[in-house]
Amino acid sequence: MSRVFSYVTVSTLVNTRDNVVMAEVGAGQVARLAVLFERHHRALFRYFVSMNGNREVAEDLVQEVFFRMLRYRTSYDPAQSFTAWMYQIARNAGVDQVRKRGSAQVVDIDSFVDRRAELVSASPGPEESVSRGQDLALLRRAMDRLPEDKREILVLSRFQGMKHEDIAEVLGCEVGTVKVRVYRAIRALEQIYFALEKEKAS
Amino acid sequence: MNCEQAKTQMLGGTIPGENQGEEFAAHLASCETCRTESSRIGALWQSLDLLPVEEPSGKVRERFYEMLGAYRQGQASVTMPVKQAWPRMIWQVAAAAALLAVGLGIGYGVREDRSRPELVQLREEVASMRQLVALSLMQQQSASDRLRGVSWSYQVEPSDEEVMNQLVTTVNHDPNVNVRLAAVDALRPFTGSPATHLMARNAVIQALPKQTTPIVQVALIDFLAELKERNAAPELRRMVSDPDIDSGVRKRAEWALERMQ
Ligand SMILES: [Zn+2]
Repeated sequence: MSRVFSYVTVSTLVNTRDNVVMAEVGAGQVARLAVLFERHHRALFRYFVSMNGNREVAEDLVQEVFFRMLRYRTSYDPAQSFTAWMYQIARNAGVDQVRKRGSAQVVDIDSFVDRRAELVSASPGPEESVSRGQDLALLRRAMDRLPEDKREILVLSRFQGMKHEDIAEVLGCEVGTVKVRVYRAIRALEQIYFALEKEKAS
Repeated sequence: MNCEQAKTQMLGGTIPGENQGEEFAAHLASCETCRTESSRIGALWQSLDLLPVEEPSGKVRERFYEMLGAYRQGQASVTMPVKQAWPRMIWQVAAAAALLAVGLGIGYGVREDRSRPELVQLREEVASMRQLVALSLMQQQSASDRLRGVSWSYQVEPSDEEVMNQLVTTVNHDPNVNVRLAAVDALRPFTGSPATHLMARNAVIQALPKQTTPIVQVALIDFLAELKERNAAPELRRMVSDPDIDSGVRKRAEWALERMQ
């Protein structure tokens, strides 16, 4: 595993902007992709887990995204946001995965999501949140029940901390539309959350 | 600012690079409904931060560096005859087209047309990169790299002749027993593909007399028995009666002949 560190030095990890690094990769310094991997693979993993609920599939998809970045490295335009470009690739890889797995996988995801919700409710996490008036296990289930497009926009804006303009680029819409969609998504989440809360109380 | 406009600003201040502004603050000061709603969804927005973060396993990093290493070595050593003959320009245009397709906003769960040429193109290019990684690893100096190359071969389409041929070369000529054994196993998918199954079967038959290591000989014999490959019978019979061959291997050959009846 000594190879890991020969590609990445601490200073390059900290100092160079993503779009500059990707431009270097495009120009032939492919080892620099490691910098981008170290910066983004965890966030990408969280994105995929949030979208399909399956850790193993999410890991495969992370690999696939960096694979495609390498393959299409010369087509990256450094004037474009790297984050937006990365999530465009990620979404496309996700779509291909869904197609490849077919409808059988949908059943798997559902059962996985339920199991995961149980695991969360069994963990000590919720207690600390009760004081804040939110039940984390319930919130997690509400997230999982959110329609995919709404879940995606929350994951991108909240978990990934993406700028509205980058999200607009990924989703191919206006910045104003992103704001409206984030708002609608959080309202939908709120409604599902309250519905689950009522279900639980009854 | 009216209520409608205020709603879209409610989450503004919590997103990096966004600001709610003075107009929004003024609206909240004067509108009870928006004030309540804003604090409610603001709290929900904040609590999303408390959800446990899923972390990937260490395998993700391992696989990434393996791919990167192989790709770098592959760039220097592997030639891809047909594809490299294409002008560079065409590939760039194809890649741009594929990314355009990415940009068209194809969402999760959206059933879309299988026949879209850009997406087909994209999948083909990714497949050819897998091929590049597998081929380049199998030609490395270090046995552990070659072993990894063999396991990468499972990721290419089993109709890929170039990878199949490299596996056959590995079975016949690799100096390392473990690599040869792994390559025998890796040929299995190719015997199930309509495009390559005849070649793959023949390659396994022809590999048999070339091997002198008993454990690899047994692996090949088992493989042929599993395939019920009768064209291997003459060679198996010769082995049974060859006193120079390991007695365990001869017994295995005998067993395989019986199974093929
Ligand atoms: Zn108002």
